[in-house]
Amino acid sequence: MPDGTICAIATPPGRGGIGVIRVSGEAAGDCLTGLAGRLPEPRTASLRTFRDADGEPLDQGLVLWFPGPDSFTGEDVAEFHGHGGPVVMDRLLRRLIELGASLAEPGEFSQRAFLNGRMDLTRAEAIADLIAAGSEAAASAAMRSLEGAFAHRIQDLVEQLTELRVHLESSIDFIDEPLDGLAIDRLADRIEAVGEAVRAAREAARSGQQLQEGARVVIAGAPNAGKSSLMNALLGRDAAIVTELAGTTRDVLDAHLHLDGLPVQVMDTAGLRTGADVVEAEGIRRAHQAMAEADHILLVVDDRNPDEDDGLGAAWPASAAALTRVYNKIDLTHRPPGVGDDGVAVSALTGAGLDGLKSHLRGGLGVRAGDEAVFTARRRHLQALDEAAAAIDEAVSAARAGHGEELVAESLRCAQDSLGQITGAVTTEDLLGRIFSTFCIGK
Amino acid sequence: MDSQSQYDVIVVGGGHAGTEAAHAAARMGAHTLLLTQSLDTIGQMSCNPAIGGIGKGHLVREIDAMGGVMGRAIDRAGIQFRVLNQRKGPAVRATRAQADRNLYRQAVRAILDEQPHLSLFQDTVDDLIVERGTVRGVVTGMGLALRATAVVLTVGTFLGGRIHIGDHNRRGGRAGDAPSIALAERLRALPLRVDRLKTGTPPRIDTASIDYRALTEQPGDSPAPYFSRWSRGDEHPRSVSCHITHTNPVTHEHIRKALHRSPMYSGEIEGVGPRYCPSIEDKVVRFADRDGHQIFLEPEGLDSREVYPNGISTSLPFDTQIAMVRSIDGLAGARITRPGYAIEYDYLDPRDLHPSLQSLHLPGLFLAGQINGTTGYEEAGAQGLLAGINAVAHGREMAPWVPARHEAYLGVLVDDLTTRGTSEPYRMFTSRAEYRLQLREDNADLRLMPVARDYGLIDEGDWQAFCAYRDAIDRERRRLEQTIIRPADLGDDHGATCLGKPLRREQSLMALLRRPEISYDDLAALSAAGEAAADPRVREQVTIAARYEGYLQRQAAQVEKQSRYEDRALPADLDYARVAGLSREVQEKLTHHRPATLGQAARIPGVTPAAVSLLLVHLQRGEQRQSA
Repeated sequence: MPDGTICAIATPPGRGGIGVIRVSGEAAGDCLTGLAGRLPEPRTASLRTFRDADGEPLDQGLVLWFPGPDSFTGEDVAEFHGHGGPVVMDRLLRRLIELGASLAEPGEFSQRAFLNGRMDLTRAEAIADLIAAGSEAAASAAMRSLEGAFAHRIQDLVEQLTELRVHLESSIDFIDEPLDGLAIDRLADRIEAVGEAVRAAREAARSGQQLQEGARVVIAGAPNAGKSSLMNALLGRDAAIVTELAGTTRDVLDAHLHLDGLPVQVMDTAGLRTGADVVEAEGIRRAHQAMAEADHILLVVDDRNPDEDDGLGAAWPASAAALTRVYNKIDLTHRPPGVGDDGVAVSALTGAGLDGLKSHLRGGLGVRAGDEAVFTARRRHLQALDEAAAAIDEAVSAARAGHGEELVAESLRCAQDSLGQITGAVTTEDLLGRIFSTFCIGK
Repeated sequence: MDSQSQYDVIVVGGGHAGTEAAHAAARMGAHTLLLTQSLDTIGQMSCNPAIGGIGKGHLVREIDAMGGVMGRAIDRAGIQFRVLNQRKGPAVRATRAQADRNLYRQAVRAILDEQPHLSLFQDTVDDLIVERGTVRGVVTGMGLALRATAVVLTVGTFLGGRIHIGDHNRRGGRAGDAPSIALAERLRALPLRVDRLKTGTPPRIDTASIDYRALTEQPGDSPAPYFSRWSRGDEHPRSVSCHITHTNPVTHEHIRKALHRSPMYSGEIEGVGPRYCPSIEDKVVRFADRDGHQIFLEPEGLDSREVYPNGISTSLPFDTQIAMVRSIDGLAGARITRPGYAIEYDYLDPRDLHPSLQSLHLPGLFLAGQINGTTGYEEAGAQGLLAGINAVAHGREMAPWVPARHEAYLGVLVDDLTTRGTSEPYRMFTSRAEYRLQLREDNADLRLMPVARDYGLIDEGDWQAFCAYRDAIDRERRRLEQTIIRPADLGDDHGATCLGKPLRREQSLMALLRRPEISYDDLAALSAAGEAAADPRVREQVTIAARYEGYLQRQAAQVEKQSRYEDRALPADLDYARVAGLSREVQEKLTHHRPATLGQAARIPGVTPAAVSLLLVHLQRGEQRQSA
């Protein structure tokens, strides 16, 4: 429902040199001054430096100011034209949210324009389509953002919070029942532990997984085919490397790079072979899983033994991903670099053929629909984690300061509502169901 | 009563919903008739002899703030009063009282008898008079056709009631009373969704047969609190204690051996019982690792010889009931005076109601109490009050009173019922209220008396007294905010005594009061603090305002955010299939639920924010067309 001030990226992320962020609502002016200094002349572009809360520059670009009602939505509207990289755009959005904006729902700008009489009746149908289609895309994007370890982590947090609330709420509502309730001081420790877990999930999401909205490229192949070298070569020569982190519990290595502005997540996997020991077999299982979720697989082959078993085994053709054979180590075999009929010849060591591989990959990945929606979905998830962490902090300090349980409970409810935006709400009915199945309630 | 009369409101049923409905309608000046099949059981407590408790006490205070019956009646009939959750904060503190059943019934009857514009009449109701799709009155068991602008049905568990004791079962509305079979059949013929629920009671025990010596005594609070703001403080009868005992492994063995004869487990009962009030056989089965369950022995009254053993409601065969009871500490020689039983009854799906409690299908018909799937005197009374008010409003073509979720537990209650329905007997818990910090017992009058005034439920004198109280709170709040205390105003010794620790910088009295370790009395003891408020209720209100300030502001912001479209009405004839962009699933949900407002639509499970946006666009389009 239209309410408050909304913001959204108005251009597809990672494509082209400019990214536009649009803000609409009563706080649009505050957003503009907070991010880019004083209000410019209406409807005139001015060059500004965009700054964070500490005054540090985030980006430089054009600012436009359209005071309502003579704007697209009929409300105050601000536009920021920045450099468009996903990291910078993300920081700008975060700053705008700090300044009082919230992320727009699909079709919300148009909806506001319509509700404020800035669009005529004939457009209503189109706006309805936009909202319906947009929300569908957003739902599938949210699912995509939630795949894998991140989702498990959030589910686990929700579960921990629910358990705390079950104890707290039952101690409030069922005073005559001899429940083994948690003492408020022990409760504070447990809430604090959940708070740490929320913060850790948020940091993990922010540093690495945050940018996983890019296409997934998996590097696979037999042991010692040169997969890691290829990964390093792809990353090392690319100025747009953003993060690189080794999973602590898995042996699939993630990294991110941009191919002509297209965000790509590259994953290096364990060497594929049969007859491996238990630990290695687990790595191979994960490699197969990564391939199953990939958009594109780079199958690395040692050019000295191009006909050796490539170890793909069961993972192929189960994966629907496109596959490119990459003949590596051509510095040793002297095959000419470049794209051929059956694959691409490269040397990860010398860099020969890498540009060809990248443009081949870029062409193969194409423009994927939904990237923007995934970006927004992930942004929302981070926002929800931020809110949950703040609410949990509040619960801990209320518990430590000796405020009533009902105030601790209130903050925990807020925290759970925030996480519920990621995983679906935990309703009062759910909570009561848990209480009644955990405790024998009832005189 | 005059058989030829035309009434404004006819209330069917003399239980807790019916009495509040009739009383509220009559207070508004409506010509009101209360019809009950037995005038002697008006105000009867058919389950445990207690009023209030957590969430429920809140409802009683709300009824009371609206000028209702329940608070006044229990103040005259309570024989043990306690404030629960005293060590927790004010929002979750709640008053509970054990009642003397006879005194309670007498108090309710006396309050109704004093009420102008209200007539009582004893007869059953067999049918509704329906003309052109609108309810116009009732037909009684002796064939009287009584006409009214609105009818409030509060027939409790009497609709199609069936009582079970072991493998024995019979028709009944409550032990000792006849069920309303004819009316049940009539309602089943109407386009209303009817389903079955179940509830139960424990066997009653002769107090002279109980050995109290080994049991834990639970006395009431002293001084005993009052429910009603209209009570003077001298109404309470003398006070008695409850006692606590427990079931044990022997008890559980008796129960396990007889499970195959329990109608619950033999499949004889199809209705769904409440999870929070399970029968003792349910507790033993579901929590098999527990070797004891708590029982509260509640006296039924000052002169009554009977005790209500709260915690062992059962429908097991009578011989098992005897064996089970006698295995319990203190009850070895117990004589059962009435058997425990389970009762199955019809309820009407409350999603067929507007939040005003008027039927969506039969204008002029209002439903309140257990018939809507709730349990509890307080839940019933609160609905009765609302239905009574809105029945009058309907006749006068006034807007109905639909309290919002942030205004009253009554708002939470009717919104939950009419939006989501219920699959078990619905009971209030404070955890159901997302605005729990604002919905307190202590501020029910501040929240609701202005509404009571608007609907003509309270008189001018009460209103003036209320205004003076409200103004005193506002004045005291301002004074606390404006009175600044500087460290120089008090020596360190003095500060340490009153404030616990020295004051480091200047602060308002209000800021000091926000600290949990400083009470209003601590501030009042400071010589620099000026003159304290005399009224303890004012002191309490400003203290709570200080403690909850940040939380209440945030909740107010959430309310503000949600309320923009909350009250936007959805036309009753809205064709959801024609709302562009809605998924089929959402269309079906909305068609099925027929939400009254956009806010209610948003709370229906499965209705997405996008769907609400689409509805908004649809409504706007309709309006633009009309104005074009």
